Amino acid sequence: MKWRVLGLETHDAYFNMALDEAISKRVIEGSSPPTIRFYNWSPNAVSIGYFQSIKDEVNLEVCKELGVDCIRRWTGGGAVYHDFDGEITYSVIAPASMFPKNIIESYGVICGWLVKGLESLGIEAEFRPVNDILVKGKKISGSAQTRRGGILLQHGTLLYGLDLKTMFSVLNVSRQKITNKMIKSAEERVTCVGMHCNRGKMEVYDSLVNAFTEGKDYEFGTCSIDELARAKELAEHKYRSNEWMFLR
Amino acid sequence: MIAYSSQKVKEGKIVKVEAQFDNVITKLKISGDFFLHPEEVLDDIEKSMLGLKRDVSFDTLVLKIHKIIKNYDAQMIGISPESLASVIREALK
Repeated sequence: MKWRVLGLETHDAYFNMALDEAISKRVIEGSSPPTIRFYNWSPNAVSIGYFQSIKDEVNLEVCKELGVDCIRRWTGGGAVYHDFDGEITYSVIAPASMFPKNIIESYGVICGWLVKGLESLGIEAEFRPVNDILVKGKKISGSAQTRRGGILLQHGTLLYGLDLKTMFSVLNVSRQKITNKMIKSAEERVTCVGMHCNRGKMEVYDSLVNAFTEGKDYEFGTCSIDELARAKELAEHKYRSNEWMFLR
Repeated sequence: MIAYSSQKVKEGKIVKVEAQFDNVITKLKISGDFFLHPEEVLDDIEKSMLGLKRDVSFDTLVLKIHKIIKNYDAQMIGISPESLASVIREALK
């Protein structure tokens, strides 16, 4: 089956998540091909997992102060700070039959593409189930997956740079507690591409495209008018709504 | 009475439970960074706990969760029926 690749685009949090859902619906119906997306988040944003409580995880006051958006994802997993300069996000949306039925194994397949991309940059990385990729024991990428209507959606981030201070201020840790010790402790657990090689973000993106498309029949494409219209509607009426935001 | 319990369970993820009860459970909210496919199953698990006695046994909770998981052919990742039951039981203490 021929894959569609949607090249690196920048959208706000609501449209980004809405587009994943809109594409998923069309892949379920068979009217869109399996799709690989790459994207940035602007403004910067915090996304929380489907099962998380926004009040528990996010300092909404600081988000508002810093102009950081906040969104509940369609997928489980933990809270993530999406920094425009600090990461590249990907989504893979395809019939589940194209991947192993076992969820961990399917994480392994897609995370394997990221590992290959990192390897091509000279960075030795490994998949650590359930959903992480580590470099020298430190997390460089996290992913989340859902399966609905016979399709698989997996999205995840590759850390390119780290802004731990902002990350800690928007996630629910009080400002007084954002100590040097805490940042040091995070630095021991998290890493980013910029700490391992001196490549520009677009070069890293090119490596990911090559690794994600290797051995596949694919072409670069665009979203259909229908997908974009559906995404716009979902962004406004679902992902921006308080009902969705405060679901848990 | 409202009570909370939060644990990093042995399967690796964080599970939080907020339970409202008198003699029986009147409200239960489960949250955390785990995965459950399909996601909507969690609503059914929460609903299945309503009306249970506060001193409901761990085994009964596990059985109820297992039954729902089986009915939906659902998959839990980073959490299990046993670990979820354990956090619920802890909140009801």
